[in-house]
Amino acid sequence: MARNESVFTIDVTASRATFSLREMCERGECHAELVVKMVSYGIIEPIESTSETPEQSWEFDLVALMRLHKAIRLQRDLKLNLPGLAMSLELLDEVESMRRDISRLRQQLADLSTDQGGG
Amino acid sequence: MDFKDYYAALGVSESASPEEIKKAYRKLARKYHPDVSKEDKAADKFKDVGEAYEVLKDPEKRAEYDQLRQYGTRADGSFQPPPGWQSASGFGGGGYTDADTREFSDFFEQIFGGGRRGGGFSGAGFGGGGFQRDMRMRGEDVHARLALFLEEVFQGCEKKVTFTVHEADKQGRVRPRQKTLNVKIPAGMREGQHLRLKGQGSPGFGGGEAGDLLLEIELAPHPTFTVEGRDVLVTVPVAPWEAALGASITVPTVGSRVTVKVPKNSSSGRKLRLKGKGLPGKHPGDQIVTLQIVMPEQHSKEAEQLYQKLADAEQPFNPRSKLHL
Repeated sequence: MARNESVFTIDVTASRATFSLREMCERGECHAELVVKMVSYGIIEPIESTSETPEQSWEFDLVALMRLHKAIRLQRDLKLNLPGLAMSLELLDEVESMRRDISRLRQQLADLSTDQGGG
Repeated sequence: MDFKDYYAALGVSESASPEEIKKAYRKLARKYHPDVSKEDKAADKFKDVGEAYEVLKDPEKRAEYDQLRQYGTRADGSFQPPPGWQSASGFGGGGYTDADTREFSDFFEQIFGGGRRGGGFSGAGFGGGGFQRDMRMRGEDVHARLALFLEEVFQGCEKKVTFTVHEADKQGRVRPRQKTLNVKIPAGMREGQHLRLKGQGSPGFGGGEAGDLLLEIELAPHPTFTVEGRDVLVTVPVAPWEAALGASITVPTVGSRVTVKVPKNSSSGRKLRLKGKGLPGKHPGDQIVTLQIVMPEQHSKEAEQLYQKLADAEQPFNPRSKLHL
C-alpha cells in the first residue's frame, strides 16, 4: 500500500484551537447529552465558563477534546458508567503524575548514589 | 497465515464456560486497555483479546472456530480455511457487533469477515460498508505519542511520526493504512502538551472533512537532567572545601555550560537557581542546581591531619542536632 510521505510544519497557534459543543459531538461521535453529562461529572470542562454559560456557547480546548476521546474509548471498551468513568480518569491522571514523579526521583536518587562512590 | 489461538489469548481452556470467558476477557481488557496500560504492545494485546472474545463469546462463532481448529491447521502450523468456507455467523451475514473490528487480524477476516477477500461471496461486506458511500462523515481524529529528547525540546526538531488512519477503499470498506509524516516541532514543548495537525487524521467519507492528528508530547529520560514543569534539574557534585569556602564551578546546561558561584558554607542539597535556563518559551523555566558534597576516594596523610585540626576547631558543631543526638 502506498505510503503518504509529506512534510508538515506545525502551526503552534493551531494547538490553541477551541471546539464548540457541536464540534465536540462530531469529533467524539456522540450526543450532546453525553458531553453535557461529562461536564457535569467534571470529566471535561469548557474554557472560561460559569454555571450560567449556556451550553451552546461552551468552548472546549484540545485537552478537553483528547479527554473526551479517551473517556469514550474507556466507556465503550470497559463498559464504565459515568461516575466510574470520572473516577477512573481521575485515578489514571494521578497514576500518570506519580509515575512521572517516581521516574524523576529515581533518577535523582541514582545520581546521588553513583556520584557518592565515584568521587 | 497463522492460526490464532483465541483460547490462549484469553488464557482459558477449550472447555471454558461462557462465564469464564467473559470474566477472563473483562480482566484482560482492563489490564491491556491502551489508555490504562503502560506495557509494551498493550494496544496489540488489547486487540488480540478483543478479537478472541468477539469469537468465543458467540456460541455459533465459537463452534465454527472449534471446528476449524480441529481441521484447518496444516502440518507446518500454517492455516488455510477449507475450500468454500463461509461463516454462517460472520458479519457479512448480518451479524452485529459493537466492537471495533476494523483492525482484527487477517485470520479473523478470512473466517468471519464475510468474504472480504477472494471471490464467491457477494454480500454487503463488512462493517456496514454499504451505507458509508452515501453518507457525509467527518474523518476520525487520530492520536499518537511523540517522544522527544531534552535537546530536541530546547532546539526544536523535525521528527518522523507514523500512525494508522482508517479510510474507505473503492468498495466503501474501511481499511487501516499506515501514514508517515515529517513534523517540525517548535522549541519549548512540554511533557504532556498536545499538538494538533489539522486534516492529517483519517480522511472523511462522502466529501466530509478529514480528521486531525493529535500528538501528545513525551519526554525521553535524560542521563544528566530531569524536568519538572518548566524547570530543568541537575545534581552537581562539589568538593567539601568548595562548599566550605565558596567557589566558581562549571555546571552543565542543556547543550552548553555556565559558570556558577557556590556560596560560602553551602550544605549538601543546597539549591541554586539559574534564571531562564530551563525550558525555553514565552515564560522560560529555570535550571535548578542541587549541590552534592562528595569526598575524594582517598585522603593524603596531610589532608587527614588538616581534617583532624578542623575537627578540633569545630568541636561545638553537632551535625545530628535535629535527631536529638
